Amino acid sequence: MNNIESVIICRCEEVTYGQLLSTAEKHQCTARELKLRTRAGMGFCGGRTCRVTVDRIVESAIPNISQAEIPLKYQPPIRPVSFGTVGDNIE
Amino acid sequence: MTDVIVIGAGPAGLAGAIACAQSGLKTVVIDEFIKPGGRLLGQLHEKPSGEWWNGIKESDRLTKEAQDLSVNIRCGVSVYNLEKEANKWSVHTNKGTLSASFVLIATGAAEYPIPLPGWTLPGVMSIGAAQVMTNVHRVQVGKKGIIIGANILAFAILNELQLAGIHVERIVLPEKGPLSGKAGVPNEVLKSLTDASKLAPSSFLRLGGRLMKSDGLRKMAIKFFPKNGVKMNGTPLLLRKAAVEIIGDQQVEGVRVADIDAEGKIILGSEKIYEADFVCIAGGLYPLAELAAVAGCPFQYIPELGGHVPHHSEIMETPLDGLFVAGNITGIESGKVAMAQGTTAGYSIAKRAGKGGIIDDLLQQAVQNVRTVREQAAIQFHPEINDGRKKIYEQWEELYTKKQNEYDDVKIG
Repeated sequence: MNNIESVIICRCEEVTYGQLLSTAEKHQCTARELKLRTRAGMGFCGGRTCRVTVDRIVESAIPNISQAEIPLKYQPPIRPVSFGTVGDNIE
Repeated sequence: MTDVIVIGAGPAGLAGAIACAQSGLKTVVIDEFIKPGGRLLGQLHEKPSGEWWNGIKESDRLTKEAQDLSVNIRCGVSVYNLEKEANKWSVHTNKGTLSASFVLIATGAAEYPIPLPGWTLPGVMSIGAAQVMTNVHRVQVGKKGIIIGANILAFAILNELQLAGIHVERIVLPEKGPLSGKAGVPNEVLKSLTDASKLAPSSFLRLGGRLMKSDGLRKMAIKFFPKNGVKMNGTPLLLRKAAVEIIGDQQVEGVRVADIDAEGKIILGSEKIYEADFVCIAGGLYPLAELAAVAGCPFQYIPELGGHVPHHSEIMETPLDGLFVAGNITGIESGKVAMAQGTTAGYSIAKRAGKGGIIDDLLQQAVQNVRTVREQAAIQFHPEINDGRKKIYEQWEELYTKKQNEYDDVKIG
């Protein structure tokens, strides 16, 4: 009755809970693969809103995996920056 | 030439910068926000002693103290990368790259989201956002609110909203599910609240803390938990009701709520709608450790500390040379503990920078002070915080102490 499947998890890329859960269940994949398959966490904010939830979905969809085993992988830039800003620093 | 770059101008960062500057190190503090203070800026509560803890005053005091010591505090600066280049740390920001031999990461914590249907409607916010809007920006978040999630942070901020004259109608739990975890199970919620009982904000829960150590009693307590809830300073805490959906057309108009059993299972046919014009989601806090991660620091998942924390010692060093951590990035605790940790990190940096004199004594006192402040903390976010601390320090001993001793020997010799 309540529409949990259509809840938006990744707001930047508009990925729903249903899409994430079915992808995780079908492919039994890592958080990284789940992101690459759905684009969740790969939008403008860089996953700052949905990252934790995506990890929890992986945890719930894959038997015998715990938070402790989901690697804490971050890549720069961890904040949205313009190409100009990054370019200036490279010189 | 900067000796130390502190990332984060909250209680840990400012206290760390003060200790560094007092030891004669040239220190810069950078922060993403428009003014220093971090989460101190939102804090206002009455201590058990009857005195008031005014975070804004604390933050002004720390800021002034740091500035009097010539600490350069730069606000509105976001760090997007941190890496070691030619024996120095490069801190890449939206305002250019800074470099120094020492970096203290004091980035604090972030909030766990609890997604539920309707959570993208205007008028839905995290409990921390409600705190910032109320106490920092002085914006009224709404006229009639509902908090989803019952934890220490939610109660502390509820109290602040009440002090600001903002009406919160009810606190309910999130619906049980993979995204809400224990936060949706009344038995688990009551357990975590009663375990933190010496700090619980209501006498009912304080009483509960003594009576309900056994599972059976707790189940009974949940069974007999008043249907209309227990009043938290006027706002009913409804542990047997779960939010199943936030409703509204263009913005929040209410929350659809159902009765639940002690394990969080929804009782069919019990749904009703509570009106509201704002909703706060309170999912708790986790250490904000992205920068330590991009720097290459190893991590350990420790639930008692709130999630993944960077490996660190009791004197706040990480395994990466010149990189130190303090405050909530090392585990979720109160602002006072963060301050004490910041001081420890500052002296620890001074020691590593080769500052002599009484630095060893100062560092030892600072470590002792963290323990004392932790013991006396008025707000305990996790009842097993000491177990969590023990785990991370034991791990440090095991993985790094031997190496450290060798390093010291070489240095002394």
